[in-house]
Amino acid sequence: MATDLTELNTARVRSRHARNLKEYITGWSFIAAPMSLFAVLSLGILLYAVYISRYDWGLLGARQYLGWGNFTHSIHDPVFLRAIRNSLLYAALVVPLQSALGLVLALLVNSKIKGSNFFRATFYFPSMASSAAITTLFILLMTPAGLFNKILHFFGVNISNLFNQGQWLSDSRTALYSVIVLNAWTTSGTMMLFYLANLQGIDGSYEEVAKTDGANRWQILRYITMPLLKPAHFFVITTGMIGALQLYDQAILAGGADGSPNYSLMTMVLYIYNACFRQFKFGYGAAIGLELFVIIFSLTLAQRFLFGSRAWKGDN
Amino acid sequence: MKIKLGKYLLLGALITYSFISFIPFIWSISTSFKTESEVYLNHLLPQHLNTSAYVQIATKITPTLYSLFFNSLFIAVTVVILHLILGSTAGYAFARLRFPGRDILFYMVLATMMIPDQLRVVPVYILFVKMGLISGHPSNYLAIFLLKAVGALDIFLFRQYFLNIPKDLEDAARIDGAGPLQIFTRIMLPNAMPIVATVSILTFQGTWNDLFWPSIILQAPNHWTLPFGILQFQGQFQTDWPPMMALVVLSTLPILLIYLAAQKFIINMQLGTAVKG
Repeated sequence: MATDLTELNTARVRSRHARNLKEYITGWSFIAAPMSLFAVLSLGILLYAVYISRYDWGLLGARQYLGWGNFTHSIHDPVFLRAIRNSLLYAALVVPLQSALGLVLALLVNSKIKGSNFFRATFYFPSMASSAAITTLFILLMTPAGLFNKILHFFGVNISNLFNQGQWLSDSRTALYSVIVLNAWTTSGTMMLFYLANLQGIDGSYEEVAKTDGANRWQILRYITMPLLKPAHFFVITTGMIGALQLYDQAILAGGADGSPNYSLMTMVLYIYNACFRQFKFGYGAAIGLELFVIIFSLTLAQRFLFGSRAWKGDN
Repeated sequence: MKIKLGKYLLLGALITYSFISFIPFIWSISTSFKTESEVYLNHLLPQHLNTSAYVQIATKITPTLYSLFFNSLFIAVTVVILHLILGSTAGYAFARLRFPGRDILFYMVLATMMIPDQLRVVPVYILFVKMGLISGHPSNYLAIFLLKAVGALDIFLFRQYFLNIPKDLEDAARIDGAGPLQIFTRIMLPNAMPIVATVSILTFQGTWNDLFWPSIILQAPNHWTLPFGILQFQGQFQTDWPPMMALVVLSTLPILLIYLAAQKFIINMQLGTAVKG
């Protein structure tokens, strides 16, 4: 009798082991394809990037070991310094602009006004369309004889007396700022939704209590709503900044591969494109890619530190 | 009285910004029906409905309009299918199956979201050149598919969704003798249609609109996608705006149709992913 039971138990244990092993194999096989793609094309490729960045690497492959040569070369390269300056200036201006615009739009469409669904949908559409389409359209609107100058003219601005004579995208003083305006507009819809998601998660009773205590609308916004939007602030600013430092599409569309006029639209990513696909200096391009990654990563960490680690998790 | 005034101000602001949001698109449509000499008159509507710009891009551009559309659609649809298959299976495994290394591997998936594409571009390009995938041959498409086959966000979204499907459903099927694959195809996937739609729309839109990777990977004109075509034609057409705008209109049309058909779903889905992401 006793031996029967032990036998039964070992059989049970064995079958449980078999079942577990089967589940392990199923699990691994379900993730095998994505994980191998990630392992090679996302994680492994980073090591390859580091390797390439140490060489003078032309069309035919590695030619000469340079050590940190590509990195030291980059900080003495005036066009690259211009690209860093442009990218940082762009991010420093476009992030606050798109966040503020997104916040205002979210607060507006969150109010109980008729047609707020319609406005939401309209404001979001520019975020759905392709950068190629929107930027091309923007170039048309901003040409000297285009609609934007016509509107300025309508409001009494004398275009020919303007410091850039209405050449918004072909004057090196205004090209980058024009792209900033363009992208603040196209991304504001996405930022609006990020804020809206947070706003809808806020418990209305805070506001009620504040109201009965005699707080006015401004005070509610300043002392109740804004602090509760901390997770959205963090998210919007972080994702906005990562996106801004990767500016490429609008720069190459409006300024060509050289970021014309006079490198005013040369960005870090456009510079990588130039180094690789016009000068065929792949080692140099890889080095700049790594520098860009370090900049993005450290700025993200800095923001996380600034907002406190709890902001990331959010309250929802 | 005061409240009413505020309401009108609010409505005024909303209407003004919605003009700013859609006037440019109406402008592109209107310009595409103008003649070249009419463009700088800056009238909202064309004097005559002139379709010569559409005829021009339909007949006179190389690569052909058909080829641009075909490439964009073929790549976007294939990538959507790959994302759905790989995202749902991996999401299910991470949510419901037990296997050693599961949590570490899932963190690895999330970690890939931190890596900017611009860092990957050089090594990926060199790797693909070595594999012979950067060429004028159809194998060039394979490069794009390998690169875009899987999305960390999809796996995350599917996993999140599967975690919330009641376990009882699964247990009932298991008692009936269903294996993991059957549970996945018969129970989990049919219950996850909202997330299937979300991933489809996000992926289609992202791939259809992408300019960065096609401009690196798809260098032969017969593989160009619409956004890359727009970039290339800008140099050729210069200030010949009506055909340029016709191309812009046609390339935006599929996205516009999807948006008009499902705007409420898209807004809510974006709100949902914003909360989770």
